Amino acid sequence: MKTAFSLLGVVLLLFGLSGCATEEPQESGEKSITIWWAQWAPADGLQELGKVFQKETGIEVVVHQIPWSSYQDQVFLNFGNNQTDFDIVVGDSQWIGRGATKRLFLDLTDWLPEAVDIGTIHPRALRYLCEYPGGSGRYFAAPCETDAVGFAYRKDWFEDAAEMAAFQEKYGRQLAVPETWAEFKEVAEFFTRPEEKVYGCALLTGRGYDSLTMGYQVLMWGWGGSWGDEEKHRVDGYANAEGPVQALQFMKDLMALAPPGGTNIDYGKSLDAFMSGSTAMSMNYFAFYPGIAAEMGDKAGFFKAPAHGQTRVTSLGGQGFSISTKVSSRQQELAKQFIAWFLQEKIQRQWVQKPAGFTANTSILSSAEFAGATAYNRPFAESMDLVRDFWNVPVYNELLSVAQRHLGEALDGRRSPKEALDALAAGHEQVFRRVFLLQ
Amino acid sequence: MEGQGKWLKFGFVGPALLILIGLNIFPLIYSILLSFTDAELIGGSFGFVGGRNYGRVFSAPRFAAALRTTGLFVLLAVGFELILGFGLALGLKERFRGKPLLLTLLLVPMMLPQAVMGLFWNLVLNGYYGVLNQILAFLGLGQPQWLTDPDLKFFSILMIDVWMWTPFMMLIGLAALNAIPTYIYEAAAIDRASRWIVFRRITLPMCGPLLGLAVLLRATDALKQFDLVMAVTGPNDPATQTLSALLYQVMFRDGSVGLGSAYAYVVLVLVIALASVFLRYMDRLQQKEGEVAG
Repeated sequence: MKTAFSLLGVVLLLFGLSGCATEEPQESGEKSITIWWAQWAPADGLQELGKVFQKETGIEVVVHQIPWSSYQDQVFLNFGNNQTDFDIVVGDSQWIGRGATKRLFLDLTDWLPEAVDIGTIHPRALRYLCEYPGGSGRYFAAPCETDAVGFAYRKDWFEDAAEMAAFQEKYGRQLAVPETWAEFKEVAEFFTRPEEKVYGCALLTGRGYDSLTMGYQVLMWGWGGSWGDEEKHRVDGYANAEGPVQALQFMKDLMALAPPGGTNIDYGKSLDAFMSGSTAMSMNYFAFYPGIAAEMGDKAGFFKAPAHGQTRVTSLGGQGFSISTKVSSRQQELAKQFIAWFLQEKIQRQWVQKPAGFTANTSILSSAEFAGATAYNRPFAESMDLVRDFWNVPVYNELLSVAQRHLGEALDGRRSPKEALDALAAGHEQVFRRVFLLQ
Repeated sequence: MEGQGKWLKFGFVGPALLILIGLNIFPLIYSILLSFTDAELIGGSFGFVGGRNYGRVFSAPRFAAALRTTGLFVLLAVGFELILGFGLALGLKERFRGKPLLLTLLLVPMMLPQAVMGLFWNLVLNGYYGVLNQILAFLGLGQPQWLTDPDLKFFSILMIDVWMWTPFMMLIGLAALNAIPTYIYEAAAIDRASRWIVFRRITLPMCGPLLGLAVLLRATDALKQFDLVMAVTGPNDPATQTLSALLYQVMFRDGSVGLGSAYAYVVLVLVIALASVFLRYMDRLQQKEGEVAG
């Protein structure tokens, strides 16, 4: 009996010791920082740059990639612990309000302007990726991967002589990249040929996380709408105004020109629809376009979001580096060292060579060298001047849930666009009221 | 010696008891407390909000919608599975060549994880490149949008669930059928009872308790339907949002742990209530059967 208890004691002791051994690996060993990011090509590029950083400084960089579908859940679950498993998280732009107000992201207000010339960061990237509240000059992130919603199109179809002649005959103008949403609809209509399994356009309409909202807001802003009053957080009369209702109706009308299942197309499916050769124009974030260019070569072209009248706006994408407040100050210093290194122009020039390594550096974005390097760089750089973002308040996720739900109801025909947006406005105001933001 | 035996008993029961308390009892009690707070997923301090979360649960239109969706799902899924499963069991009751192989094949869907099946059916039912629509197109039939048509999404998930769990009903049905003594059928044959009378008066009542148990198990499981919804449409689609999907949305996507705990308790009470009603019914059924046998 005594032997059994002794054995149990030894086992428990071993468990205890193993727990202690894994508590703080970095404190005693080599210098290392862990970055959490979603599983996609830019994260591979960041890992490669991390190796360069390690060569230069001896600090190891581990980029831990998590599938997109569970990325947000895993990050915020991890923030629930006393200590996070990451030193840096590459967070979605919408997370910043939550990260700042809940003191999850380290305040970089004093450090960032010293580490990098703020003037070299694109103002919209700085506003939406780094700053909270907007215009406050307080920073909780540094730009990592900057992105915007744009379009890929079948350049070979657009340049086909027979298609061009047919389009000219039907619409009395040249077949070209659409400059306005009205032109976009015509081109989509022209290429919609279900009997040949060819369709005009694939818009972002996925219900999983945020793609429907990201897709819709491009049109909503184009029609002069807004999500609401950013200071008073009033939504009624803004999100359900005439412009947004018309934009949602227009988006719904475009569903007839989309491939089967067009009312629920997320980022991956939009990519599939285009690369399978079934769709003439596909909406997506620019970060997905290097894959298209590599696979389809000259068959694919890229353009920025069309305008409605004089208004042309698109959705911001991309993420910023935020340092966890739940790691030791030693780790925070190492993280700062990496971010400062990454933001140097010479490193940014290497970053843009990586797949979807889009930069916020204004001198690179405005350079002819960058614009001419790939087919998608120029429309990307131009799109950066047009970007806006969804709410980035701490309760952004609840607002996103409401938006996804009601916009989906409109596309599914369960509510009219007006009814859906009325419900959305009421739902958003209810959320704001509950957290005492509604004035 | 007696004292040592006491310690031995504790040695055996203690660890399991500690694990049970640590993993089941403590979270259960802790989440009751959380349901009266405004706790959030990302931690930090939280305050007592009284019954506000429960008020929000019952006043939320999406809760009523999720309740309706879940109820309909349980009713249809378990109903179809019972009818199809028991029908299959009746068909496969007799011995024939290849029966073991056929049974094994029929049981495969039940043995695979729901999440994997959800992803697999996502590919099969894809409106554009899915195998099902390719076959329908080949046959010159229409190609419904199984996963995106708002009127079809729910039934697509229902279909997958029925496909997965009908074999379970079949298995229980077979066990129940095999447990009926053959002399009862022989007596019925001597009395020249018709096949319908044999089914209605012998087969069905004698299989009743076991089938009831299967229905109870499936109903409580279907009440928690989450994996398929998550894999096929995501948790935030009003057409398919079950109570568990809503709970996930509130707890993990919205990050409202307090409100999510309130949702969880409402779901728990519903499951317990349904199970108790059903168990009472089963008891009564068994009592009746005992009286008849007596």
